Amino acid sequence: MNPFSYNGGVCVAMKGDKCVAIASDHRLGAGRLTVGTDFPKVFEMGPALYLGLPGLTSDSLTVVNKLKFRVNLYELSENRKIKPHSFKAMLEHFLYEKRFGGYFIAPVIAGLDPDTDEPFVTAMDMLGAGETNEPFAVAGTAEESLLGLCEALWEPNLKPDDLFETISQVILNAVDFDCLAGAGATVHVIEKDKVTTRTIKTRMD
Amino acid sequence: MALSNICGADPAWECGSFEAPTPELFGVDYIQGKTAISALNCGEYNVGLSLPTLDAHQKIVQSLLEAPSTDLQLQQGAEHTKTANPRNLFLHGTTTLSFKFQGGVMVAVDSRASSGQQISSQTVNKVIPISKYLLGTMAGGAADCTYWMRVLNRQCRMYELRNRERITVSAASKLLSNMLYGYKGSGISIGSMIAGYDKRGPGLYVIDNDGMRVAGNCFSIGSGSPYAFGVLDTEYRWDLTDKEAYELARRAIYHATMRDPYSGGNVSVYHIKETGWVKIETQDVSDLFYKDRGIPVTA
Amino acid sequence: MGHFDPYDDNGGTVAAIAGQDYVLIASDSRLSTGSTILSRFTPKIYPLSKVTVFACAGFHGDVLTLVKQLEIRMKLYVHEHGEEMSTKAMMALLLPTLYGRRFFPYYVRPIVAGLDREGRGLVASYDPIGTPEFFDYVIQGSAENLVHPFLNNQIGAKKTLSDVPIQAPPELTLEKAVKLLKDSFLAAAERDVYTGDTVTLMAITAKGTETTEYQLRRD
Repeated sequence: MNPFSYNGGVCVAMKGDKCVAIASDHRLGAGRLTVGTDFPKVFEMGPALYLGLPGLTSDSLTVVNKLKFRVNLYELSENRKIKPHSFKAMLEHFLYEKRFGGYFIAPVIAGLDPDTDEPFVTAMDMLGAGETNEPFAVAGTAEESLLGLCEALWEPNLKPDDLFETISQVILNAVDFDCLAGAGATVHVIEKDKVTTRTIKTRMD
Repeated sequence: MALSNICGADPAWECGSFEAPTPELFGVDYIQGKTAISALNCGEYNVGLSLPTLDAHQKIVQSLLEAPSTDLQLQQGAEHTKTANPRNLFLHGTTTLSFKFQGGVMVAVDSRASSGQQISSQTVNKVIPISKYLLGTMAGGAADCTYWMRVLNRQCRMYELRNRERITVSAASKLLSNMLYGYKGSGISIGSMIAGYDKRGPGLYVIDNDGMRVAGNCFSIGSGSPYAFGVLDTEYRWDLTDKEAYELARRAIYHATMRDPYSGGNVSVYHIKETGWVKIETQDVSDLFYKDRGIPVTA
Repeated sequence: MGHFDPYDDNGGTVAAIAGQDYVLIASDSRLSTGSTILSRFTPKIYPLSKVTVFACAGFHGDVLTLVKQLEIRMKLYVHEHGEEMSTKAMMALLLPTLYGRRFFPYYVRPIVAGLDREGRGLVASYDPIGTPEFFDYVIQGSAENLVHPFLNNQIGAKKTLSDVPIQAPPELTLEKAVKLLKDSFLAAAERDVYTGDTVTLMAITAKGTETTEYQLRRD
C-alpha cells in the first residue's frame, strides 16, 4: 500500500495581502478504515509559522518533534525567532539527510516574515525540493483538486477575511472529491499580530 | 415497437437509464415510439440489448491486457493515473445490504462511485428495479451491474409473458447466476443481492461474478460491508417492526459510510412487501451525522 | 516478446454544461502522446446532428472509431425515419455501443451533449464501458480532477440522490457558463501539461450553433 495515502489527508496554504493562510482536513485513516475524525495536520512551529504535514502520520509526528527540537536549539543560539525562509532551509536539510529512505510526508509551510511581514508559503517533496515563488502550496491525497481550485479561485492581494473564504472553499470542495480526506477542516489565518484559527464543517462520509 | 408496448417493459430500462431519478429522460422518446428503441434495435425482442461477445480472439486480447484490477487501487502521482488502461477508469466501491424480516425484505444502499481514491459521483442509484416485485443491488463494476440487470430485466419479463406467472426470486437469481457463470474468469465484476417477494414469500439471494448463488436472511456486500454487518448483526431480529427495520437498514449503511472511505453520499432504503417494492427514503448521510449531534444542517 | 499494448493516452479535456435553454460544450485542442505534442489544433468535439454533439478525450484512435460508428448510426437512422436521432436517443445508443466492447474496451472518456425536443440542455458522461451519468455539468479527460471540484463549487448546489439536477439553474445564463468554462480551461492549462493551446466553446441554442475559440497556454 502507498505510504503517502495510507493515512490520507490534505493541506493547502495561500498568500494574501500581508497575511497568509494554511488549512488541513481532520480525517485520519488506516488503509480502508477511517480511525479518527479529529486529526488536523497543521502544526505550530512559531508565533507566525505553521507547518502542514500530510502523508504517513507516524512520520509526520516524528518530523514535527525532531524539527521542533532543531527550531528551539536555533532560537536559543541565535536569540531570535526563526524566519520562514530559514525554517524552510532547515527542513530541506533535515529531509535530505534521509536521502535513501526518507520520511513519507509532503510538507507545506506557511508563515509571515517577522521583520517585513512578507507572506511566505512553500510546498516540498519528501526529500526537500520545494518551490517558493508560487502564491499557493498544496499537498496530500487531493493534490490535483486543490491545485485546480487554487488556480481558479485565488487572486492577488486578498485581505484576511477574503483569504479565509477562498482557502475554505478550496479545501471544502477538494476533500468532497477525495475518498481519503475530509471529516472537517481547520483553517489558520496568520496576520502580523494575530492568528485566527477556525474549524469548518465538511461532509463526514 | 408494438411488441415492446405489449410487453409493457419499463421505458427507463428499455433505453438504459442508469439513474433512477431520470426515467423521464428517456421516457419521452420511447412513448413517441420511434426514436430510442429503433436506435437500439439489435436484439431478438427489439429491446436494444446485445450480449457482449467473448469469442476466441477477444479472449486472447483479454489475456494479453493487464489483469483487471479487482482491488481498489490507491494511486499516487499523476504519472500513475495516466496509465493508458481503461480499466483504471471503471467505477468501484459500495456498501449495500438486504435482510428478510416478518414484514418482507429490506434493501438499503449508499450512493458513492469512486475510481481509485477519486470520488466520481455521490448520486449513483445502486438499487436496480428488475420488476415490481424484484430489486437488485449493485456492487462491483457499475457498467457490469447495470448491463446484466437489464438483461435480467428482459429475461424476467419474457418469463412472465411465456408462463403467465410471476418469476420467483429463486428463479430470477438463478437466471443471472447462470448467465454470469458463462462469463466466469472474463473480468466481469458483480456482487449483487436479488431481493423480492413471490408466491413463496420473501426471497433473498446473493450472487456474484464467479457464479456463486446463496439464499439467506441477512446480507451485506461491498467495501463497507464489514461495518454494516457490525450494526446489522447486533440489532437484527426476525420480528422487527417495519419502522424498526427501516431504522436498522438506514443506520447500518450510515455507520458504514462513516468508516469506509469508499462509501458515502446518500442512503436509500427500500421495502419489498407482498404488494411490491416501495422506496422508503433517501437521506444525505452527512445530514444524518449532523442531525445525530444536534448541529444545524446548512444546505 | 514485446508487451501487447493497444492503447495510448492522448490527453485533452472536454466539458459541458446543460442550461435551461442552451447547452455549452468545451474542449481543448491539444493532442499529445507522453511528453510529445502531436497536434496543437485538434478540438475533440464532434457534431452528430443539428442539436447533438459528442466530445471525447482518451485514446484518439478509439475516439475516431467510436465517432465514425456513431455517425453511421445517425445516418442510418435518418434514412430510416426521415429525421435526426434525438439527443436522448444518442445518449441511450452510446451505452450498448461501449458495453459491446466490454472485453476489449475503447479507451475513451466520452460526453454526449445536446438539446432535448423542448430545447433544454442535456449532458451525459460515460466511463469507458458505458456507465452513464446525467448531471447539469460534466467534465472528462486529463484535467478532470483539477476542474471537477471547481465546477462543483460554482454550479453545484447541494446534490441529493432524490433530486439530481440535469439542468443548471436559470441563474446560470449562457454568458456566465461561457465565462465559467473559459476560466476552468485557463486554470487547467496552467497546471495540466496535457491540456492547452486553444479551447473551443460550442454553444447550442434553439437559434443554432455558435463556436468560439480562445487561446490557452501553448507551453
